[in-house]
Amino acid sequence: MTAVPTSAAPNTEGDVATSAPDTAPATTTVVSLVPGHGDDTHAAGGQTGAHGAGDHTTGTVGTTEHAKDHGSGGLPQLQTEHWAGQIVWLLIIFTVFYTLMATVFTPRLRKVISNRGSTIAEDLANARANRDEAEAQAKDAAAETAAAHTASRKLAAEALARSNAEIAAQTAAEDTKLNARLSEAEARIRAARDTAMAHVTEIAGETAQVLVEKLTGKPATAAALKSAFGKVS
Amino acid sequence: MADPLHQFQIQKVAELPSFTVGGVVVDMSITNSVLAMMIAVSVTLLFFTLTTARASIIPGRGQVMAEGLFTLINDMTESIIGHDGKKFMPYVFTLFLFILSCNLLGMFTYFTATSQVAVTVTLAAMTILVVIGVGVLSHGLGFFKMFVPSGVPWYILIILVPIEVIAFVMRPVTLTLRLFGNMLGGHIVLKVFAGFIVTTAAMGIGGWAIGLASLSTMVALTTLEFLVAYLQALVFAVLTCVYLGDVVNIGHH
Repeated sequence: MTAVPTSAAPNTEGDVATSAPDTAPATTTVVSLVPGHGDDTHAAGGQTGAHGAGDHTTGTVGTTEHAKDHGSGGLPQLQTEHWAGQIVWLLIIFTVFYTLMATVFTPRLRKVISNRGSTIAEDLANARANRDEAEAQAKDAAAETAAAHTASRKLAAEALARSNAEIAAQTAAEDTKLNARLSEAEARIRAARDTAMAHVTEIAGETAQVLVEKLTGKPATAAALKSAFGKVS
Repeated sequence: MADPLHQFQIQKVAELPSFTVGGVVVDMSITNSVLAMMIAVSVTLLFFTLTTARASIIPGRGQVMAEGLFTLINDMTESIIGHDGKKFMPYVFTLFLFILSCNLLGMFTYFTATSQVAVTVTLAAMTILVVIGVGVLSHGLGFFKMFVPSGVPWYILIILVPIEVIAFVMRPVTLTLRLFGNMLGGHIVLKVFAGFIVTTAAMGIGGWAIGLASLSTMVALTTLEFLVAYLQALVFAVLTCVYLGDVVNIGHH
């Protein structure tokens, strides 16, 4: 620090870059809005010297020395007299910001997003339930159709069988009736033939008698006719 | 050419009294950095108020954006930290939105609060304190098992434990410097190229060509910076999750 006054003194050129850190300790008495200009530099330099010559009790000077070690190019950010105010304000602003974010906006956003998630899940579940129901109904309908198919097929088969049976029964009845009539007719025919055959002998005997009478003049005896028939047949 | 560092200069917007704590003077005046943080956070809060006020199952455009950001961080915390991720989600979400809004506000020419070391160092310190707090609260002294990998012979542990400790200590430092460096570098480059355009355009026809080249570079760099603005916020959030996951799942790996 002992070198500060000597280095600040020839700085009348107003070199901003090198004089900027020199003005840094001027916090309490000199408030320099734009440091490093002419008279301010002198005053600040003097102030620095006063501080530098004395014991380094104040924290500002201590931190300024620290900043000086780093401050090769005289960055305005390293003028530590503005640090404390900025830090305190930053802590205040950040606390307010954090409190509002943590208590108002984050829960609000989280709620909206989770609400959306649950709404979507609910809708999906509903849709899925509807689909399942529809599928079940479709399955039921298919089963009913199949049942109706089998029932109607059974019915048709039964009807067919019944009509077949009826037809068979009727046919059988007709057959028996016809057979009866047939056998009756056959019997009649047989009777007629038998009768006819019985008459044949009689007719042949009469014819033979007539023939014999005409040929011989006298009727033939029944015995003679009988023996003659026996020879013929 | 304008000083490319001037954009990082803290300037007071409204004077407020200062107080001293332990010898440190805390000037509560509202500076451009503080105002930028206030605007960024207010705009973010307004955005979330408008988009989630009448949140519905079927979201509008704004709600889709808000939900997209929420889902991004929510999925990240759950996939990296695991089952307990939900607890830390608001912190990571706030951190992400804070950095993202400050970075993006910086892209609209006012002031980039995240290019201030004071801001990034505070964010990193906050994060590592949360990490240590969570580790100690949930594991007690078992928290220190984090530095002792299981199943390693003692003679390797002698070397390994210091490395683990250093790696852990370096975490907030890297968090600080990564965000700070990206924002600082990006904005300096933008300012330098913008300065080129003005300087070269004043040189006549020959300068116009250079100016035009600078302008196209500037456009390309601006899009790149938008990417960086988002990416750095995401990286900070991812690393916070990783560090939280490390302490939440001590002994699980």
